[in-house]
Amino acid sequence: MNDMRLMERSAMTNDVKISASQVQVFYGESHAIKDVNVDILDKTVTAFIGPSGCGKSTFLRCLNRMNDTIDICRVEGRITLDGEDIYDREVDPVQLRARVGMVFQKPNPFPKSIYDNVAYGPKIHGQVRSRDELDEVVEKSLRRAALWDEVKDRLSAPGTGLSGGQQQRLCIARAVATSPEVLLMDEPCSALDPIATAQVEELIDELREQFSVVIVTHSMQQAARVSQRTAFFHLGNLVEYGETGQIFTNPGDPRTESYITGRIG
Amino acid sequence: MTDASAQFEGRGRPSLRVQDARTRRRNAAEKRFRAYGLVAIGVGILALFVLLASIFGNGSSAFFQTKIQLQVPLEEKALDKSGTRDPEAMKKVTTVGYGRVLKAALADLIAREGIEIDGLSKRDIDSFLSKEAPAQLRNHVLANPDLIGTTIAFEVMTNGRIDGYFKGRVSLDSAELDSNVSPAQLHLADALKDRGLLGTGFNLDFLTAPDASDQRPEAAGLGVAIIGSAYMMIVVLCLALPIGVAASIYLEEFARKNWLTDLIEVNIANLAAVPSIVFGILGLAIFINFAGLPQSAPIVGGLVLTLMTLPTIIISTRAALRAVPPSIKDAALGIGASKTQAVFHHVLPLAAPGILTGTIIGLAQALGETAPLLLIGMVAFVREYPGAPVEGFFDPASALPVQVYNWTQRADPAFVERASGAIIVLLAFLVVMNTIAIVLRRRYERRW
Repeated sequence: MNDMRLMERSAMTNDVKISASQVQVFYGESHAIKDVNVDILDKTVTAFIGPSGCGKSTFLRCLNRMNDTIDICRVEGRITLDGEDIYDREVDPVQLRARVGMVFQKPNPFPKSIYDNVAYGPKIHGQVRSRDELDEVVEKSLRRAALWDEVKDRLSAPGTGLSGGQQQRLCIARAVATSPEVLLMDEPCSALDPIATAQVEELIDELREQFSVVIVTHSMQQAARVSQRTAFFHLGNLVEYGETGQIFTNPGDPRTESYITGRIG
Repeated sequence: MTDASAQFEGRGRPSLRVQDARTRRRNAAEKRFRAYGLVAIGVGILALFVLLASIFGNGSSAFFQTKIQLQVPLEEKALDKSGTRDPEAMKKVTTVGYGRVLKAALADLIAREGIEIDGLSKRDIDSFLSKEAPAQLRNHVLANPDLIGTTIAFEVMTNGRIDGYFKGRVSLDSAELDSNVSPAQLHLADALKDRGLLGTGFNLDFLTAPDASDQRPEAAGLGVAIIGSAYMMIVVLCLALPIGVAASIYLEEFARKNWLTDLIEVNIANLAAVPSIVFGILGLAIFINFAGLPQSAPIVGGLVLTLMTLPTIIISTRAALRAVPPSIKDAALGIGASKTQAVFHHVLPLAAPGILTGTIIGLAQALGETAPLLLIGMVAFVREYPGAPVEGFFDPASALPVQVYNWTQRADPAFVERASGAIIVLLAFLVVMNTIAIVLRRRYERRW
């Protein structure tokens, strides 16, 4: 790890985008997330790391209420987006998810054309008025996801026919097409080869200019490469949260140190 | 190498080339099991073959009918005494009058051809033709009153026994003992056939004509039964598909998992196993006795079959919905689609081939169902075609499987042939429906 590079890429702003306080998550009887407090900054890449089953994906899914789809899941505490409580009774999770987009672990394009995949979000949110405008949004999103040049000649081909890395970038294009403010990524590279991984990581770095990106990853190298801030989860607790450079070079908690040096996990 | 293997053998290890007792037993068990499997499949195929052979052997002749070509003089004094050619006035002449005309025409033909057969009485000639023939001639003349006064060539069905003679059901020996046919009539049939005046041809009437009474099996057809079955299938499709799919989507995607949905689930699974006659009793009690719908009507049959088909459709639809990977729904929810949008835009289209397959199989089951229809009166003898939809749904009608059941109970052996023929028609419909199901599944099945 190059310390100099890590320092250079320190957070650009200090505006808090998402703030979580005293968040508890229960799956039936089991207490999956305990007392998590975290402030996620705008225009920053935040990485969640930790051993399997530590709750980082669960916590990520709380941020756009994807856990609502699981009957037995219960969330307590307070999570705010721009100061508004997203678990307020009056908040419609559908509206929330238009602002907090999500990319999943396994590439999951719709079994439709590449164009329709990207166009779906803007269409259902009524963000475009004409076909030309939609074409524009699709092109812009695919360019942002660094996929445009590869697919511009076959936009009507099925999205499922692309390679794994291309599919994942298509999913990212689909997520950014609705112009969310926050992009949640749940291990976006775990199903990809190193080359595709590098492309996606480069992309995340570019996306930081417009969005706040939260990425869950198993790879500490990846966290170190792409993020400005890192949160370490262990057994449902947020153990440590801070500048990525600091977490990796000078961790404050012995558990963090054990994990990043490979002794637990 | 050779040294090494020699060394192993020297140490007393058995060669891999020789099977030990345990391996031999396992191999024998495997061979035995394969043999059981082959025998089971063989028995199944043999049974199917015997079934099809017997049905086709008995039933294929129902599609053919022996007919005789007659020159029929339609004299005004016999058929239209008023001379007005008014069908209303001509209706005064009943089938008895037309029967006389036909009998005369046949006797005339025999005389003209110079056919002389020992023991051929007038009664033999009179009963040579089908009892249905005068009615056919009468309908033909009433529809075309201008034919009066001319001599027309008219194809007339022969008596069922004569028909059976050419299909191998009746022989000269059996005719001796049969009060319905005499050997002289069979000789006459042979003689007419030699002169090319009598022949066996394709019988479209079997598919279009209504049922006929015990005395005239040669005239019985499936027309009313096919219409009745088709009406019922329309009712089932229009009710069971939307209700079943809506219920499945709600249970699978929206309902919370609690004791109530568990109870509903168990009950749906149980309903699929309820004997169909129970649904017939239910239909009788609710739709006819309580709701006052007419008996023998396709609407009631359709409603009962809908109840019976619903569990099948719900179970297969839920399986199809469950087979859609959850990642697709997550993807839609993740970009802000509502649950309804996620289901209708993404999950339902992917599940559609499975739903359609389940529906068609459910319909095929309903098409072949007999027991519940017996209870709601669809076993009645119906000669009137039901009207056009939707009013026709309330007219009495029969149904294919019930018609089979009905015909197998009639005494005349010609009805056995008709019943087997009806089974062939029913099987043909089922094969077509199942083929459609397979084609749809093949064509629209997606892999991801």
